[in-house]
Amino acid sequence: MIISKLVIPRRTVLRGLGSMLALPLLDSMVPALSALQKTAAKPINRFGVMYVPNGMIMKNYLPLTEGTGYEMTPTLAALAPFREQVLVLSGLECIPPPGRPGGAHAKASTRFLTDISPPTSETWLDAGISMDQILAQETGKLTQLASLELAIESGETAGACDTGFACPYTNTISWKSQNTPLPTQNNPRVVFERLFGDSTSTDPKVRLARLQQQRSVLDSIGDEVAHLQGVLPQSDRTKLTEYLDAIRGVEQRIQIAEQQSERELPLVDHPAGIPAGWEDHMNLMLDLQVLAFQCDLTRVITFMVGHEHSGMTYPQIGVPDAHHPISHHQQEPDKVAKVAKINAYHMQMFARMLQKLQATPDGDGTLLDHVTMMYGAGIADSNSHSPIDIPMILAGGGAGHLKGGRHVRFKQMPLANLHLTLLDQFGIHRDRIGDSTGRVDARILSL
Amino acid sequence: MPAPAVHSRLLPALLTLLCVAAVSAGLAAGGAPNDADGIRIQAAGAPPPDAILPQTLDKYCVTCHNATAKTAGLSIDRLDVHDVAANAQRWEQIATKLRTGEMPPPGRPRPDAATYRAAVTSLERALDDAAAAKPDPGRVPVHRLNRSEYANAIRDLLGLEIDARALLSSDEADQEGFDNVASVLSVSPALLENYLSAARTLSRLAVGDPALRPVVDSFKISKALVQDERLGDDLPFGSRGGALIRYQFPLDAEYTIKVLLRRQEYDYIIGMGEPHELDIRVDGVRVARFTVGGGAKGMSAPENFAGNTQGVPEWEEYMHTADAKLEVRVPVKAGPHEIGVSFVNRFWEAEGVLQPPQTGFGRTTNEYYHGNPAVEVVSIGGPYGKPDAGDSASRRKLFVCQPKDAASEDACARTILSTLATRAYRRPVTESEIQMLLGFYKAGRQAQGSFDAGIQRGTERILAAPSFLFRIEHQPAGISAGAAYRLSDLDLASRLSFFLWSSIPDDELRTAAARGQLSDRATLQHQVQRMLRDPRSKALVDNFATRWLELSKLSGVVPDTELYPEFDENLRGAMEQETKLFVASQLHDDRGVAELLTANYSFLNARLAAHYGIRNIYGDHFRRVEFADGVRGGLLGQSSLLTVTSYPNRTSVTMRGRWLLANMLGAPPPPPPADIPALKEPGVDGQPQSLRDRMQIHRKNPACASCHQRMDPLGFALENFDALGKWRTVSDGVPIDASASFPDGTRFEGVAGLRTLLVSHKEDFVRTLSAKLLAYAIGRGLATPDMAAVRKIARDAAAADYSWSSIIAGIVTSTPFSMAIAGEDQGTPTGKARQ
Repeated sequence: MIISKLVIPRRTVLRGLGSMLALPLLDSMVPALSALQKTAAKPINRFGVMYVPNGMIMKNYLPLTEGTGYEMTPTLAALAPFREQVLVLSGLECIPPPGRPGGAHAKASTRFLTDISPPTSETWLDAGISMDQILAQETGKLTQLASLELAIESGETAGACDTGFACPYTNTISWKSQNTPLPTQNNPRVVFERLFGDSTSTDPKVRLARLQQQRSVLDSIGDEVAHLQGVLPQSDRTKLTEYLDAIRGVEQRIQIAEQQSERELPLVDHPAGIPAGWEDHMNLMLDLQVLAFQCDLTRVITFMVGHEHSGMTYPQIGVPDAHHPISHHQQEPDKVAKVAKINAYHMQMFARMLQKLQATPDGDGTLLDHVTMMYGAGIADSNSHSPIDIPMILAGGGAGHLKGGRHVRFKQMPLANLHLTLLDQFGIHRDRIGDSTGRVDARILSL
Repeated sequence: MPAPAVHSRLLPALLTLLCVAAVSAGLAAGGAPNDADGIRIQAAGAPPPDAILPQTLDKYCVTCHNATAKTAGLSIDRLDVHDVAANAQRWEQIATKLRTGEMPPPGRPRPDAATYRAAVTSLERALDDAAAAKPDPGRVPVHRLNRSEYANAIRDLLGLEIDARALLSSDEADQEGFDNVASVLSVSPALLENYLSAARTLSRLAVGDPALRPVVDSFKISKALVQDERLGDDLPFGSRGGALIRYQFPLDAEYTIKVLLRRQEYDYIIGMGEPHELDIRVDGVRVARFTVGGGAKGMSAPENFAGNTQGVPEWEEYMHTADAKLEVRVPVKAGPHEIGVSFVNRFWEAEGVLQPPQTGFGRTTNEYYHGNPAVEVVSIGGPYGKPDAGDSASRRKLFVCQPKDAASEDACARTILSTLATRAYRRPVTESEIQMLLGFYKAGRQAQGSFDAGIQRGTERILAAPSFLFRIEHQPAGISAGAAYRLSDLDLASRLSFFLWSSIPDDELRTAAARGQLSDRATLQHQVQRMLRDPRSKALVDNFATRWLELSKLSGVVPDTELYPEFDENLRGAMEQETKLFVASQLHDDRGVAELLTANYSFLNARLAAHYGIRNIYGDHFRRVEFADGVRGGLLGQSSLLTVTSYPNRTSVTMRGRWLLANMLGAPPPPPPADIPALKEPGVDGQPQSLRDRMQIHRKNPACASCHQRMDPLGFALENFDALGKWRTVSDGVPIDASASFPDGTRFEGVAGLRTLLVSHKEDFVRTLSAKLLAYAIGRGLATPDMAAVRKIARDAAAADYSWSSIIAGIVTSTPFSMAIAGEDQGTPTGKARQ
């Protein structure tokens, strides 16, 4: 199993279980570990992002009326069952500063979470840390994986994809630092292995059997290290002490996993690779995200339904045309209709995600109650590349921070201001991010 | 080889040049001088150094470096030159400053060259004598296998060819760039999880576990790889483009091989204007031929695909899906096999005006409808059907016996696991270790009901063992802390194999060690020669040379596409291949190491020959080419190294100078200070301006000059090579001036002049290479006591004109390689040390 972060040595856990934010989720553990009950009342909030490329047909998407009684639009229709968990936000802007022309697509995806416009370059990478990564720096201290960056399309990491702009600008929305874009992963097998190691299934029996095997190997190599420690000079023992510490770290992970294995997880078998059908692929990627949240393996996931400038085709819904070319529809009705079809199709996938989250019990509610899902695009109208009034939806309860059922219209509000407020909700207070000018009133989101 | 006269004239010349920062930093790092320890009684038996040394120090050094002035924290008058051992570290620093000619600083009086040389030689001899009298081999901490060593060990143990990058995270490198340094190779829970997981995966692969689930592995080919020619010797004649993939097939079973063709940004498949033939081969045998392309009907989109205008729906659908059926399902035997995918070449020329290759955005967007299609992804899926373990090389290696009946199973398991553990642990295994492994065997045998399953579990345990993953050297019982001792033959065998093969010892070497034969010089040298002839010694090129020469940086190079539109993956690959083949040929032919600089040949294929402007080289095959022009040939004319020492948009005389000083001459400059402003772009004021003019700032500012007057001249001599190592005579609108000089007036010009200059410093070059190779060989950074060993290695190799084998022979018999210092507080075996 590949675990990029596991920072809690066993001693820490034994000293104070109350600090283990990772554990309250595991309600099956609570009776056994009474210390946890104190923190269990405060549910965890997670952050998920679903990004759609190439803008939208805005007249099919944007509700005309505001407030609780807003009218569902054709593109939003799939979200009807979750109306009370969904907050439609409009009037948000993601306008690149003047003076750096071109690259509307590169800027759309890069700015979506960083609020910084990249310079024109096919070689240098220069943006800023994205808000999901600001968050992951904190939540990653408590989970196996700091974050997951997922996609359906595989992205080039070299070369130029938007005129004059290096490919990472359009192929990811997550930036670990100013110069480090995080590549996205679209292979469900690789994601599964990152989450569940070499277990062949999420079936509790299979997982438990594998965990016990691992434990017996660990015990035995622990004994071997101890024996070697004995015959080595003092000065040589440091490296093996590191190894012993590592063994304890893994034991700890196994212990948590064993306790988790009593939980009912959706049954997912080790995937062979990328399924041939787009929707099968999508379903698997959604399942893996729900699993990652459910087992608290990570609290931050970004997911690109398509990379910006995507040329994906959707023959399964009668759109065999490449997405980006037809998104420049020049108001031709048949093209407009096809793009709107893609927009609605993507929204169905988001609804499917919400449905899966709602179906998953978590603490005293469901996973949907304890998540902040963001769905949006970095471009509003596809044809004109407009960054004004971009599509933006928040969904889920945000662990008490979000209240849906409304369409809220802002006035020329920088997207960065929303990012700051969302970070606030996770207890991370920053003065500014990118070109923020202030904050969105948090009460509007949680009203 | 250099005439003494030439040497003595050039020695101070090359590096006269003080780097104030380096001196003070270097000495400060050694700690403040301890005056109380400064004067010592001469060690009994050590011969007194020549009188010339104390005289020279008194006359030229003590003026500044005395107890009162303490310049750079150094007071030579308080050090006893007759007992260098008492302050060996300080004296080594002084020797280095003298050896590189950095002291006395410019402007201060300096002895004549002969005296200077005699003084430094005398000091080095005193240090060498002191080291010989009391050897300090140092101690290498417990050493984790790095990723390439792990992969090689798995290959040699189990016959599995694996891509370790998919199993293990990468290793950190030390300051010198080597990634096999014991103190840097750390362990984390994440890495341990990697090891556990890899142990399971690899043991199942080795045994051929029929329950292995189907997996689809996809191999993606960079869009920047041009596929207009035959790509490599391993693809058939008459083929074009594609890829050859060596893949480890886990079982005798059916596998799918699926090909996706290159798409441009709008997902149109490139080159679908006409039909093309695509072949899939397994080990060179064709298993499928497809015809793809030419099937689009109706009105098309514009042929450059650039706009947003689309073709008719039928045409659109074909252009997105024409490669959907390029898949074949074939039976393949377990083991590594080569999957070749390539087009059948059509020998015709395109009509019309030839267009330049597309770069940047164009490469991902505008590609010709009537051009060549290319392979983008090859996916191998399986095992499917009725998988069987078969008779793979792995199984033959692992199953050294087969149980005849149930009763003989336990004995056979014992033989298999103890044989494997002996190889993996690189030593005999104890009875209690065998019992422990048999415990895992029995658990697997019981749980899954087969002999193989039991062996798999035992193998998994061996691959997770600290004794496999760590190189742990055993010191003799009862030795007192701080005493030097010879490594046991078994530990020496491991050092040899990890040095020369980056892998575990083979049976022959381990057996010789177990019999105590490596203590015999002749046997040791016989083994070293045998190992160097073995193909596994290619590891010295892949792991030592690439890192010493900083060739590993080539994969990250991103040249500016506007300035260098010709750069593509084919060129990058060819550059790397040239240097690797060249170094490998030098090693193979056991040439003198200075020939790395002076050789008149190299290895080229058509792509690289075109880059160098050399005619009549056709095809992708690399062949040895000799040069008479004095430009190419040897390392200095190789575009790989000239590229990694350049910026994306221009050459850097400084980076090239630093590279030469650090890697060829062993006199690395200190890192640059912070907050350096960038150079101005050429011609900001409308006038063409050469890089040389712009670099003048380095000379004007004293803070810069102290280092740059050492580095920049070396780089200027290479200015005829552009940032991709292509020959040029004009840059930034002005003719190239490749002449260079040091402040003392030594002049040299161009790559030929630089080569002559470096050869006149052959001894420095040999010492530098010996030091790098020794550090790599033992897996730790060198310290003061190792310097005597480096000098001895170089000195002893002189008789063989510094041949590779003579230097390697010197290393394996050197004190740091063959000995160790006993650590403190040796414990006693216990099973209860865990807390």
